[in-house]
Amino acid sequence: MLEIKDLHVSVDDKAILKGIDLTVKPGEIHAIMGPNGSGKSTLAQVLAGREGYRVTQGSLRYLDSDLPPFSPEARARAGIFLAFQYPIEIPGVANAQFLRSALNSQRGYRGEPELDAFDFLEFVKGRLAMLEIDDSFLYRSLNEGFSGGEKKRNEILQMAVLEPRLAILDETDSGLDIDALKVVARGVNALRAPDRAIILVTHYQRLLEYIVPDRVHVLAEGRIVRSGDRDLALELEAKGYGWLNLRNNCEEPFIP
Amino acid sequence: MDNLELQRHLDTEYRWGFVTDIEQDTLPMGLDEDVVRLISAKKGEPAFMLDWRLKAYRHWLTMTEPTWSSVRYPAIDYQTLHYYSAPKTRDSGPKSLAEVDPELLRTYEKLGIPLAERGALAGVAVDAVFDSVSVATTFKDKLEQLGILFCPFSEAVIKYPELVQQYLGSVVPYTDNFFASLNSAVFSDGSFVYVPKGVRCPMELSTYFRINARNTGQFERTLIIADEGGYVSYLEGCTAPTRDENQLHAAVVELVALQDARIKYSTVQNWYPGDAEGRGGIYNFVTKRGDCRGERAHISWTQVETGSAITWKYPSCILRGDHSVGEFYSVALTNHHQQADTGTKMIHIGRDTRSTIVSKGIAAGYGSNAYRGLVKVLATAEGARNHTQCDSLLMSPTSAAHTFPYIEVRNPGAIVEHEATTSRIGEDQLFYLQSRGLDEEEAVNLIVNGFCKEVFKELPMEFAVEAQKLLAVSLEGAVG
Amino acid sequence: MTANTPFIEALRRIEVPGWLASERGAALDRFLATGMPSARLEDWKHTSLAALERRVWHSSTSVAGEAVCPDIASYPGHALVFQNGQLHCHGIYLANQIAGTLLDLANTQAVHQYLGQVADDTALANLNLALWQDGAHVYVPAGDHITLPIFTLFGAAEAEAMLYPRTLAVLEHGAEAILVEHFLGQTGQPYWQNAVTEIVLEDGAHLTHLKVIEEGAAATHTSLTAVRLGRDSEYRALHIGLDGALARHEIRVHMAGPGATTRIDAFDLADGHRHADLHLRINHRAPSGTSRVTYRGLAKGRGRAVFDGHVVVDRAAPKIDARQSCRGLLLSPQAEIDAMPRLEIYADDVKCGHGASIGNLDREALFYLQSRGIDLALARQLLMQGFANEALGLLDHTHLRNWLMPRLIAAMARRTLMEPTP
Repeated sequence: MLEIKDLHVSVDDKAILKGIDLTVKPGEIHAIMGPNGSGKSTLAQVLAGREGYRVTQGSLRYLDSDLPPFSPEARARAGIFLAFQYPIEIPGVANAQFLRSALNSQRGYRGEPELDAFDFLEFVKGRLAMLEIDDSFLYRSLNEGFSGGEKKRNEILQMAVLEPRLAILDETDSGLDIDALKVVARGVNALRAPDRAIILVTHYQRLLEYIVPDRVHVLAEGRIVRSGDRDLALELEAKGYGWLNLRNNCEEPFIP
Repeated sequence: MDNLELQRHLDTEYRWGFVTDIEQDTLPMGLDEDVVRLISAKKGEPAFMLDWRLKAYRHWLTMTEPTWSSVRYPAIDYQTLHYYSAPKTRDSGPKSLAEVDPELLRTYEKLGIPLAERGALAGVAVDAVFDSVSVATTFKDKLEQLGILFCPFSEAVIKYPELVQQYLGSVVPYTDNFFASLNSAVFSDGSFVYVPKGVRCPMELSTYFRINARNTGQFERTLIIADEGGYVSYLEGCTAPTRDENQLHAAVVELVALQDARIKYSTVQNWYPGDAEGRGGIYNFVTKRGDCRGERAHISWTQVETGSAITWKYPSCILRGDHSVGEFYSVALTNHHQQADTGTKMIHIGRDTRSTIVSKGIAAGYGSNAYRGLVKVLATAEGARNHTQCDSLLMSPTSAAHTFPYIEVRNPGAIVEHEATTSRIGEDQLFYLQSRGLDEEEAVNLIVNGFCKEVFKELPMEFAVEAQKLLAVSLEGAVG
Repeated sequence: MTANTPFIEALRRIEVPGWLASERGAALDRFLATGMPSARLEDWKHTSLAALERRVWHSSTSVAGEAVCPDIASYPGHALVFQNGQLHCHGIYLANQIAGTLLDLANTQAVHQYLGQVADDTALANLNLALWQDGAHVYVPAGDHITLPIFTLFGAAEAEAMLYPRTLAVLEHGAEAILVEHFLGQTGQPYWQNAVTEIVLEDGAHLTHLKVIEEGAAATHTSLTAVRLGRDSEYRALHIGLDGALARHEIRVHMAGPGATTRIDAFDLADGHRHADLHLRINHRAPSGTSRVTYRGLAKGRGRAVFDGHVVVDRAAPKIDARQSCRGLLLSPQAEIDAMPRLEIYADDVKCGHGASIGNLDREALFYLQSRGIDLALARQLLMQGFANEALGLLDHTHLRNWLMPRLIAAMARRTLMEPTP
């Protein structure tokens, strides 16, 4: 589904990713871990097509097409979804209005009929129930005044509504207390499917107790320095990133 | 601050209020073309300077005093002022410290301004202006070795006429405003700084202004030029004796920063503020402006305004060069019957220009404190950014605090943000501190210092300490 | 003929209730003494009426042009329709003494007591006081709650006409009402509407006031809304400025009674060559008042949006809570937005603040929407609508919302969204 080869990415002419290789198959869950400043979020942003992230070398293929030329919306319509680390607040735009616009944009692109307000409401209420989110969520302005936990749940709600083929969750666990983390994890697990791949970008092992990954990769200084199964994450937690003997250029120390 | 020291500060209302008894050479009261010619002649100025002064004077005659600000004062009779007053010295002026009148040196000692080069403020070069004339400049020779010119303005006019002619009035033209035009006609001295290409001035340059003579207008003129890649940090301090009548101070400061140059200009203004009933005090009507003339030029103004009966000044930046940066950090305190109308103008012309404004106004007693600022983004200033934060603290029910921002944006790629708050000193904060053993005055000082912290941290160390002390003294008895 | 001749002529031709004649004369004298506001005045620095002075205006001669008595039924409430300054038709269901025209009700006590007393002494208000011909009078007796909105439509169809719509609304103790003023241009020719609205809210009264400006493309709109609030009364206003070559609306709120609340929301759309100027002055004159202002201005093409939000807290007015939020959306290189969110505080026990920002659509927000599959054009549209919606938070009256939203969306679509995005 996703094939990344020798990927180099620069932001403001500064090289962040320096040769990433990664292959993700449908149905798989991959966790990408690493200290701050290792390039985890850059990888997530590049997949979603953020402006200013320049691929300088290597290839980024998704479902047999080269990704770089495509706009963010084209990628979304082709089934790529990024759950933002810091979801954007948009005052004046109701959550429901936004979700329906997004869903209908994607349906229109796929040649499916648009959902009218009633069908949409019925559909989205099912998703809200699944994620244990109150209906009032729909009528609030998009992320405006949401708590950290509410914002992250709203990201998962969008994922549940848009049903992507490849979902990238960028530090979705950060800033969540344990109860909120469990709710988010339940949502993600409910969305596991044989034709859907999920990439979890995370600093901590904690999330992986609730969402069990098939593969774990450790990113440091713009490269994947180690890959393994779930045990790698546990080992990391026990020994810290220092164990990998990295030249430490992270701004913050890693605290498990 | 320990108790003894605090007590010392509280005991002195305005401890810089003494008069120096010294022989003065003073022109008679009044202003006409002959006075302008006389001032120029006393300075032995070249013809271009006299021409410029006369043009300014003739233009000034066509102007009227501005009334748009929030400050109120009785009409000034410009014919009852002296426009020139200087300590009498042998011939043209002191050639070295040894020639300076010992009484003057003692004055500066009392002010805490060391003119002796081995003084306590080592690492600071000082130009001292007494009434209208520069009396001593220290460390001049050392600076000259680096090619840095630091001297009284009157000396620069004679020694570096080409530089003066090129830059004087290029930032603040003699037609700019009523007080700037008046200054252009009659200015008597001030400081001149030129930092050559690529030179980083290794010490703080400082000018200390003092008004001594009665009924004297002080009109100093400062011009600072930082050539490409140059850097200079400049400090300005001011005091005046305690007098019942008001005294006029109308200065002009021009800064020119060329490509990659940086000028940091700090002021601690402590002119005599008048007494508790509002009698006397300095009218501080000042025009300060910096021009970021080259790419990546950087001008930053920091001011702590605690003195003067009336303060009317708007240190501004013209951000002409692409990527140039302008900053304005200000603390203005008005107590008793003081009035302040101060702020800045940030004119964004070049691409990706940035400006930051942090203004903290404190009003106590019957003080009136207004922030007035303009942020203007021209159509050419693609990517311009401004952030403005204006906070006012009210310390008495008879004080007043105003915020008058003007924002004008003509480029859709610009982002301008402005935030302002006005509130009174928090009773719960005071109570909390008092419950920990601080008395009310200490608690107020602590809170006020916290309120001003963002600005103080921009000041050089010695000035930051001085500024904090000044606030404490100025606020004495302000609460309750 | 001097520049003043049209005004003197206009006054000569007005038939008025006797008790007003001398007031009209005095008001005209005051206007002639000051003349039109000039750009030299601080308050008029950003808006020039020079174009107005270059034209020769005449007062409206008749109810001319197309019959506009629009589908009154489409206005969800009571309606009074004026065209070219005169009552044209109405669908008022209220008792006569409650709502009608100023001329009909000229001799009632409320009109005698308040007409010309609330509006400030500005040049343009003086001109209106001298030359108004008719207008709406709304009087709500103590304790009455009128739930259906009262619409006043001021249509203009006569080229070169100067029109002086006037409204007086008096709400007695505890009364409630909804007033909607709709200024509608029915000609592409230049004309000038110079309106004055006076509002008196006695203790505990509550008024929701909507003002929608949709003047003709070449028209000039100047207006003053002056409000006096009694103890614990509430004034909620929504200003929507969509059309007209130049519009300048001044809202002056006098918070005269303690505990009064004012909330003003405003949206101005300045596109093409449109100049939209909103001047607010909220004067807290009594303790414990609250005021909230939300302004949203959108400028595009060669449009210019001007906002001056001035809050004054008098010494006699402690415990004031005043907030202002001003945002400008600047979408083209020839457009301009000017904002002056001013605070003038003479009391110390206050909480006052304002925030102002001006910029283009937020790139992060655009990317967020795009990453959900929404294309750039739709993402921009959503953000612009969201921007306008922020000023419509108060519009909780369903019928009003249903009446206003299509107008707003049509105006946005017509002029900002159909153009190619850069």
